Formats: sequence, C-alpha cells, structure tokens
Amino acid sequence: MKHHLPITPPEFFLRFFRWFCDPVLAEDIEGDLTEIFQRQVAAGHSKKARFHFSINVLRLFRPGIIKNFSLPSFNNSAPMFRNYFLTSMRSLLRSKGFSIINITGLAVGLATFSLISFYVYHELSFDRYHANADRIFRIVENLRTENELLLQGVSSPPMGPRMKKDFPEVESYVRFQRWNLLAERKGVSFYEPDSYIVDSTVFDIFSFPLLKGDKKTALREPFSIVLTESMAKRYFGDEDPVGQMIKMDYDNFTVTGVMADVKANSHFTFTNLISFSTWSRNNKDNEDRAWFWNGFNTYLLLHDAQSVEKVRAKMKDFLEKNIEKGGMYYEDLPLQPLPSIYMAEQRSWENGTRGNMNNIYVLSIIAVFILLIACFNYINLATARASRRLKEVGLRKTLGAMRRMLIAQFLGESIIVAFLASCFAALLAWVALPAFRTLVESPLSLEILPNPWFVMAGAVALVLFIGLLAGAYPALIISGFQPQQIFRPSVKGIYSHHNFRKVLVTTQFIISIMLVAGTWLVQDQLTLVRSQNLGFAKDATLIAKTNGDTAIVRHLDAVKNELMRVKGVVAVTGSNTVPGQSTTNQYTEIEMVDGKLSPTNINYIFVDHDFLTTYQIGMLAGRDFSRNVKADDTAAYIINETAMKDFGWTTEQAIGKKVHHGRGNGQIVGVVKDFNYRSLHQKVEPLMLALTTYVGRLSIHIESDDMPATIDRVQKKWSELIPYLPFEYTFLDEDFDREYKADQQLGKVSAVFTGLAIVIACLGLLGLTSFSVERRTKEIGIRKVLGATVTSVVLLIVHEFVWLILLALVVATPLTWFFIERWEQNFTLQAAINPLRFISAGMVVFTIAWLTISFLSFRAANANPTKALRTD
Amino acid sequence: MSRHQLGEFEEIVLLTVGILYREAYGVAILDEIERRQNRTVSIGALQTVLRRLEDKGYLTSQFGEATNVRGGKRKRYFALTTLGSRVLRETQEQRAEMFKAIPRLAFPKS
Repeated sequence: MKHHLPITPPEFFLRFFRWFCDPVLAEDIEGDLTEIFQRQVAAGHSKKARFHFSINVLRLFRPGIIKNFSLPSFNNSAPMFRNYFLTSMRSLLRSKGFSIINITGLAVGLATFSLISFYVYHELSFDRYHANADRIFRIVENLRTENELLLQGVSSPPMGPRMKKDFPEVESYVRFQRWNLLAERKGVSFYEPDSYIVDSTVFDIFSFPLLKGDKKTALREPFSIVLTESMAKRYFGDEDPVGQMIKMDYDNFTVTGVMADVKANSHFTFTNLISFSTWSRNNKDNEDRAWFWNGFNTYLLLHDAQSVEKVRAKMKDFLEKNIEKGGMYYEDLPLQPLPSIYMAEQRSWENGTRGNMNNIYVLSIIAVFILLIACFNYINLATARASRRLKEVGLRKTLGAMRRMLIAQFLGESIIVAFLASCFAALLAWVALPAFRTLVESPLSLEILPNPWFVMAGAVALVLFIGLLAGAYPALIISGFQPQQIFRPSVKGIYSHHNFRKVLVTTQFIISIMLVAGTWLVQDQLTLVRSQNLGFAKDATLIAKTNGDTAIVRHLDAVKNELMRVKGVVAVTGSNTVPGQSTTNQYTEIEMVDGKLSPTNINYIFVDHDFLTTYQIGMLAGRDFSRNVKADDTAAYIINETAMKDFGWTTEQAIGKKVHHGRGNGQIVGVVKDFNYRSLHQKVEPLMLALTTYVGRLSIHIESDDMPATIDRVQKKWSELIPYLPFEYTFLDEDFDREYKADQQLGKVSAVFTGLAIVIACLGLLGLTSFSVERRTKEIGIRKVLGATVTSVVLLIVHEFVWLILLALVVATPLTWFFIERWEQNFTLQAAINPLRFISAGMVVFTIAWLTISFLSFRAANANPTKALRTD
Repeated sequence: MSRHQLGEFEEIVLLTVGILYREAYGVAILDEIERRQNRTVSIGALQTVLRRLEDKGYLTSQFGEATNVRGGKRKRYFALTTLGSRVLRETQEQRAEMFKAIPRLAFPKS
C-alpha cells in the first residue's frame, strides 16, 4: 500500500455541512458523504470525488436537512421588549447621576456636532441652488506679465461674446462689473457698493427669481435697474418701485424689476443690477477689443457639463487666434465650475468673500472629536458599572436568555440614551443657534437645508449610529457574563476591562490637550500677525468714503484743511485706496539698469501729498511728493523697497529711473520702506505710489482721548461741508483685521469648542471617579481606620490619572505641532511654536481633571470610616 | 381508499429499503436504486425522503457499526415498520386492481 497523505473532503464544504445540518441527522449523512467520497477516491478520481462531495453538500442544503435556525419561538415577544425597556429605564433612574452625566455629555456632543454639520453643509452648499449650477462656469485668467504669473478671478469684456461665437458648446454668457454707486431718492441716500452692470441674460443663466418685471426686457435698455427686495424697501418703502426713477451717482435709472434678495450661500452678492448697455453703448470699442481690461466677471452657460473639457482643449487655439501676444499675455483661461468657486483657491480681484476649506476641515475634526469624547464617556461609564447588571444578566441567562438577545437589550438601552440625548440636543442646538451664528459670522438660514424628512432621517441615523457606537462594547461585555459569576465574582472576570477604559480616557485627554494647545498656538499666531509692525500707522485712523465726489476732488485741499481744524484730528490724506484694501494693478514701462524700458504690471496706490506723513511711512531714499514741484503732479513716482530689489537696483540707482505710464511719463523720486499694504497672508509685492486728486477715501488720523466725541465732531463738519454725501466710515485697523477674519473666526470657534470638549471629558471623568470611589468605599474606610491621611487617600485615587495625562501629553504634542505648523504656512510670517504651550495645555487639562477628581476623592477621604464599614 | 398516499420516489425508496432488508443504509439504498432503476439520486433527495418516511412512521432506523471508510461515522440502518409494509402492500394492491380494471380492448394490439 502506498503511503501518502489521506485525501480529505473539501474542508470548507464539510464545515458548511456541519454548520447547517440538523444535528440529529448529521452523523450518518456525513458518514454517507464520506463513504461515497472515499469510494471515488479509491477508484482514482480524487478531483471528481471532491467535486461531487461539494455538490452533494450543496444539494443537502434543503429544508428537512437544515437545522432549525429560528429563535426559540416566543409566542408573543412584546412583553419581553416591554421588560427590556422597563429594566433599562429602571437602571437609568436608579443611578440618576450617571444617567444625567451620560445624557448631558451626549447631548452637548450631539448639539455641537449638528451645529457644526449645519455650518459645514452651509459652506459646501454655495451656489448649488442654481438650476443650471453644473453647467455654469466662470472664466478666470492666468495672466503672464514680464516678471510674474498673475492668477486673477476676473476677465475682460470681449471674452464672453467671442467664446460664444467660437465654441458651439457655449450656450450663453453673462458679464458682471461691480460699480460702487451712491444711490439717492427723495432725500434717502446710501452707498450701494454692490451694484453690478450685467448682461440681460443673467436671469436665464442664474436662478435669481424676478418677482416683478419681465426677465426678457428688464435689463435691455440703458439706465434700467433691477432692485433686490431689500434695496427696493430701502428707497421705496411699500410703494411699487417698477417704473419709478432712482438716482445712482449722477444718472437717473428706471426701475424695471424687483428680484428676491441674493441668497446668503452665493459666492457674490449684490443689491441691484444695471443693464449692461448703460455702459456698453459708449464703450463699443472697449467691449470688442479691450482684451486686457480685467474688470469684469464672465460666466458661461454650456450646453452640458461634460463639454467643458472640449472647450478647455480648444482654449489655446482660441487665445492664439484672438489675442495679440504682447509683453503681457494669457497663459490660460481656466473655467471654474460655479459650485467650486466659493471654496476654490483665492485669485486676485475676487468678487466676494471666499470660504476656507482648512477651516471646514478643522471644524469637522473638532465636531467628530467632541462626539467621540461623549461616546467614550458612555462606554467608560457603562463598562465600569457593568458589574451592577451582573445579577440581572445572570438571572436572564438562567431563564434561558441567549447572548444575542442580551446584546440587543443593551444596545437598545444605549439607543434609548442616545435618543433622550438627541431630544435634549435638539433643544440645546435650537437655543444655541443665534449665538453660533454670531460666532461663525454666517447667517446660516434654515432655508438652505434640504427637505425636513431628509434632515429627520439623518438625525435618526445619527442617533442609531451613536447608540450602536457607544453601546456595542458595553453590550458585548455585559452579555458575556456567566451566571455563576454571581456566586463567584472573580475580580478578574468583571473588572478586567480596566485597560480598555484607560485607553479611552487617555484618548480623551489627548484630544483635550490637542484642542487646548492648538487653540493657544492659533491665538499666538494671530497676536503676532496683528501686533506686527506693518510699516505704517494703522491705529486711530478713520477711513471715510468719498466715492470720487467731484466737489471733494475739486476742493481737496480746502476739505482737508477744514477737517484738520476739527479738534483731535491731526492728519488727513486722500487716496484712491488705503492699506488693507485692494490696489490697482496697472501696465507700466520702467527703465531697467541697462537703460531699456521694460513693460510690467505693478500695483499702484494713488495718493495726495500728505499720504506718507499721515501713515508715517518711512523713506529709504529720495524724497516725498512735494507741493513746490509742480511737475510732481503727473511725473513723480515713488516705489517701495521690494520693487527696488525686484528691479535689481541700489537706492542710488532707483532715483531718477524713467517711468512710462498712461497718465504721463516721469521718473522715480523716492523709495519708501516696505509696508504691508495687504495682509500678512501675502508677501509685500512691488508697489508704485503716484499723485492724484481723484480720491476715493479720506484717511483721518485722530489723536484724542475721547474718540466718539471726535468722530461726532468730524461728522458734524462733514455734513456742513458735503451735506449730500453720507458720512460712512470704518476704522483702518478693523478693516485690516478683517483680512484675518477667517483665521480669527477659527481661533474663536476652536476656543469655544475646546471648552465644550473639556467639559464633556470632565463629565466622564467625574462619573468614572465617583464610581471608582464608590467601589473603594470600604478600602478607603479600612485605610483610614489603619491611619491613612486624607492626602494619601486622595493621592491613591488621583495617581492613576496622572500617568494617563502625561502619556496623553506625549502623544498630543507632536500631532498638534504638525497640524499647527501646516496651518501657519498660510502666513508669510510664522510665530515660533512655543513648547511651553504644550506644557501649559497639559497643566490646564491636568488641573481641571484633578479638580474634578479630587472633589469626589476628598469627599470620600473625609467621610467617616465607620459609615463605610457598616454598610454590610 | 386509503389515507396513505405514496409519492413515486417515496414508493421506490420504501421498496428498496425492503429489498435490502437488513443492509438498508444511505449509500446502499443509493446504489440499489441506481442499479435497479438506472437513475442517479442525490444524497440530499434521498435523505429528505427517508426522514419524511420515518416521520410518517413507515420506516424505523437505528445506528449500526462505525467503519473506517466512513470517517468513523456510524451507519443508520432503515427498516420497514408494520405500517410501512402495509402501506406498501396497499399501494401494490391498488395498482394491481386498477390494472385489472383496464378493459382488454383498451390495450392497443401490439
């Protein structure tokens, strides 16, 4: 006989058979199967044998052979579930303290989570409400100039019409240009900075509902204007504005329609729309040929969303065919899908505020963290207190309960807790919503939510998920108790989950420390940025809009002198823009070291003679503009340090270099020290200063102890001088800080939620400690009888948490370090990460935890030991 | 008429168990049916019928010896019960009576 390994039936099918077969039948059928198998093997067909075996097993999988899988039949399971519910409620009510901790923790977690989800949903919902959202694309520019590539959010007037002509995929286009107008009707006058001229196709492309007027004709004729509801209300009250006149700057416009206000989740907003023909009838030439007039926003409507690829593929040819390639040319004209604009990387000249994907990530992480902490509390408390359910579980098992029914019971219990928590959370969220709106500075109107059933379904799913997440582990543990443990409660069997709890508590500490240290470091960075010397005086300066008012332009010096006479005003200057606001980028030719003129695009601020002194910007070389040199008005230029270095000049070389610009040819007379005319998110770019009398802003520098009174006096003077122009002002430093709005918001929001996270974590710690104290009542009593001091008893309880916090600190530090370092990349100037912050964060968390714990431990340690020992 | 109605396959299984007398266990029954009827039967089909017949009380069964070739599993031997044999006999008699009742003329001349 040959000796080889016996050929065995296929293991998988054998196991499958053993699993499903009725145990009464299993033995002899398996014998039959094996006999046939062996017979075929003996005949030399081992492959066939295995195959037949499998087939036979499959054919045995039929009623009559399969064992009875159904649960032992309960004729009526309702009483059972009623009993489960009852015991769950009793158990919740028996330990009110723990239930309150659990439910409150979960509720705060859920409320936070839903508020943040709402905010995130809002941020991601931008522009999706347009019916054509997926077919609308914004034309943006990658403009190559002599020394840089400019990524601009704008486009020029001929682009839209030409693309429609050249690309069959383009169905329609619409162009917007923002005008800042002063509106006036019957003595009611305001600036309307968000006025736009727009092509009449706007209502076909975007889903802006026109409430009154005809969308075909409303924006056809010159000097037609469509008002939003709120603007109509502002000037016309309850009158019907359609057909009436409103004055905008110097022209009268006919109101041809009223539309709903632009929704808050739009990437740009406006208060009124003016017919494009108002502008184009006098600018036919520009409309057709000004390929580099980048003052417009053009949106294309494509026939279908997919054809964007085709258009993109043809863009290169389009550019070559239509636009002359000069010193400045378009490298590309990318098309941004409408819903992506809000969150896209910011380009220059954006037409509205943009979201910040980083903040969305950070907030989402915080939301999940908080929810996790709350779930961990539940898991910890439920497993810690599992032994209390030992008798119940033992009895149930003795009476024939199966493990999975017990699991179901305890899962049900956690779902009940989650449900109660969610009711409480809904209430909390509702109460906190207004405060949350202020915190994130977003209107968060409920109307952006999808239909209520969807929201309800989401909420139910969340409750179930949380219930299962928090309940799964305790349910497994508790249902695993063996009945005899009631009589032999081996310590190991019941309390062996200590390590798991430690992991969870440590995780909570890690999260808390990360949040505290992170918030701190964010604040550090923001403080650094805000206290940074920007190179100019930004405090106590009022910025008043003049909107290029002709009277002011004509009598600039007189107006300035009058304002200077107001008590408290120390300096006044006019300029087209102020630091912190957008500059204009203009085509200029500048003489290089080799004497040749080189074309370039450079940022301009147009100022008057007092600009540098008012803003206290230091000179590096040369001189300031002078009233004594008449030629300065058109022929003098001052550059900043960066520009000088960029052109490769020394301070001596810079002075006297020729500059050719549309307003007149001249030369550089001075170099100023760099000042941050934008935010510290951007590097200081080359800058050119030139004189103008066309001022859009008056900067009024005040030195006074009583700011409000001074402002009142300025206002009074203003209304004497220019009664028809509203005195609208902002503070320069506040404007400038607005550049960091998103960052500050992040700082504020994370501070608030860090607090919440710590509160929830402490709730859990409180529960855990009180349980551990309760369990050790006797131990503490005996220790005290034997002479232990209060301190030593407190330390006994506290010491195990100290290690956990230290461990958490070690884990949290590198994680936080990594994230903060990445976030700081957003700034040109980074605060050094201060390691002390981590120590302090650890200390804060430790102190709070310690206070929580010692509160209970002291009570236990101070209790009379006889009481503890008499309880049996 | 009898309350006992046998399906065709049930009848064959009962008959085979009878034929094999003391040797009627799973594989033997399969082999016997295959030999006599020239048809293959799966274990699944046979076993369900055997259990059904046992439930109805036509068959009885007991474990026999374990053999090596069966992986140490015992055989289950089936045997006809009194009820089983009576049902089988009734079925045969019914068939015979019915056959006899066919008029001669009904048979086509061969």
